Amino acid sequence: MPMKRIFKTFLVVAGLGIAFIANGQNQGAMRINEYLVINTDDYQDDFGQQNSWIELFNSSYGTVDIGGCYLTDDSTNLKKYPIPGGDVLTAIKPRQHVLFWADNQPYRGTFHVSFDLENAEEIILVKSDGVSIIDRIPVRKDLAPNVSFGRTDDGIGSINGDGEGWEIMERTTPSTNNRTIDKTLQSNRMKAMDPWGWIMSVLAMTVVFVALIFLYLIFKQIGKINIRQGKKRAAAKTGKKVTETLYGEAPGEAYAAIAFALHLYRVESEAHDEESFIMTLQHTDRSYSPWSSKIYSLRQLPQLKRK
Amino acid sequence: MENILLNLKTFWQFTGFANLQWGHLIMIVIGCIFIYLAIKKEWEPMLLVPIGFGILIGNIPLFAGLSVGVYEEGSVLNILYQGVQQGFYPPLIFMGIGAMTDFSALISNPKLLLIGAAAQFGIFGAYAISLAVGFEPSQAGAIGIIGGADGPTAIFLTSRLAPDLLGAVAVSAYSYMALVPVIQPPIMKALTTKKERLIRMKPPRPVATTEKILFPIIGFLLTAFIVPSGIPLLGMLFFGNLIKESGVTRRLANTASGPLIDVVTILIGLTVGASTQADHFLRPESVKIFIIGALSFIIATFAGVLFVKIFNLFLKEGNKINPLIGNSGVSAVPDAARVSHMIGLEYDKTNYLLMHAMGPNVAGVIGSAVAAGILLGFLA
Repeated sequence: MPMKRIFKTFLVVAGLGIAFIANGQNQGAMRINEYLVINTDDYQDDFGQQNSWIELFNSSYGTVDIGGCYLTDDSTNLKKYPIPGGDVLTAIKPRQHVLFWADNQPYRGTFHVSFDLENAEEIILVKSDGVSIIDRIPVRKDLAPNVSFGRTDDGIGSINGDGEGWEIMERTTPSTNNRTIDKTLQSNRMKAMDPWGWIMSVLAMTVVFVALIFLYLIFKQIGKINIRQGKKRAAAKTGKKVTETLYGEAPGEAYAAIAFALHLYRVESEAHDEESFIMTLQHTDRSYSPWSSKIYSLRQLPQLKRK
Repeated sequence: MENILLNLKTFWQFTGFANLQWGHLIMIVIGCIFIYLAIKKEWEPMLLVPIGFGILIGNIPLFAGLSVGVYEEGSVLNILYQGVQQGFYPPLIFMGIGAMTDFSALISNPKLLLIGAAAQFGIFGAYAISLAVGFEPSQAGAIGIIGGADGPTAIFLTSRLAPDLLGAVAVSAYSYMALVPVIQPPIMKALTTKKERLIRMKPPRPVATTEKILFPIIGFLLTAFIVPSGIPLLGMLFFGNLIKESGVTRRLANTASGPLIDVVTILIGLTVGASTQADHFLRPESVKIFIIGALSFIIATFAGVLFVKIFNLFLKEGNKINPLIGNSGVSAVPDAARVSHMIGLEYDKTNYLLMHAMGPNVAGVIGSAVAAGILLGFLA
């Protein structure tokens, strides 16, 4: 397959991938994260009452507005409780939680739904189109009072109601992480998973290479496009087809001759009426080049030396 | 008379002489060596002079409650040190580096990017060694980044992963960056044949302004999407480069690459030096860090040169890369590239490798920032 086609395929795949990922940063990223059915001695609402609650979690790294979405306990009525739009509190920040009271008292505000969990079979979160189900989870009837059921890790696990990734929580965690994040947890986890650092090394080097290979491929193509356009411009100017780029093919002597000629041209006193047309170039052993000069290194200032 | 003597005795107890310990003396000697190497040998003078003098500042024996030490909250030195601790000096330096870096060599021959990637083996080799000698993963990540040969990145990452090791990691990184002309040449010579050292590379093609402007934009978007945790470094690096290449923000570019980076370099060098107080610095861990740091530079150089040799097997005659530029994949800009150039000249006085070596050299800056982002993502 020619390089051009590979590049185009790559762009299309990358574009589709980005579009798919970008689509993930919306209502579809919301998850039902935890719920409590019988609340006798747990979290209280703003009215001082203890009721069932449902916690939602924004699993994305962008703010998601759930205004217009639906919460329901009835799969035949997906629009049972429309979450009001226009409420600033329905814009859920990245990786944050929001709590709904399942008290069947929707007139109490945005976060009080029109059903309760004690009589519910399942909880369903529906997109604002009223049709697409984002997440669903059956309501367990065997939960003791003040014991919640939630995802082991926030936002992780199934969304089709089979309960994978869910567990009975040791303690309720309304509006906060289901598992308290220990500052050293990640480091400890790495230690347990990869005691010799090989997994990290292979993984990280792969990522570094992938990042720079992408950059290489993109700029290789950009360079080709630039060279092609340069040829077109040159052809348009001269009227001849430019078949080969001569960049970089001139020997050092040619550059020296050009520089010398320019010097003679600029300094009139050096120009003669008749030139000999003979130029002798002698290579010197001087290794100095402005490129390697210390004075061009980082932030070196010129030094004034007085005798 | 008795009162005078009593006051003199009290005054004596407040002096540095009365509180002097062997550790302070050792650190002061180290500081003086840094200053000597910087002035006499011109080894990274812009960094070693501030760090060396900072070591002197940080190792004047103090008594508690004086509120002048770098670790004493509210002291002037402590306030200046916040730039290191909170990690905002390194991104500012990266902006300056971006504003003074010409990526043309890389854009004209983008395959040199891969050398910058290969040299990051130094980081992860050192990471594995650190784990093997008993460091915690977060500490190992901080030590490993020394192999990136990038001082600001090392400080940034260590301030996040292992603040306790900041002094040792920073001093180690900058010391070995200064020692690049000593560490790298023997490895480069050992790994290459005379024929390879004589390889002449095609001169870079002229790069259009559009390409130079696109590079920081595409470079940032691509790398930041892959490693978002590297945004502080990558964002500032590519932003600095954009204000340079755009041609319409000359004043901003001049400030970023001149006065701003100078100010931050002074502050970062001085405060990092001052953070090496004997009681914080002279520990067995510091010795281990110095040894692993040296190994990381050696591994990075090995990886860079070997990668070019392997890469050459797949390149057509005429497109081959001189393996002497493989060492430049570490991001000690421009010293590593200068080493490639000087060693190249030893074998062919007309073979100027510097412009080619600058490609992997600046790619190394990108690569080490990406690697730092990965370590941060996994270990923070």
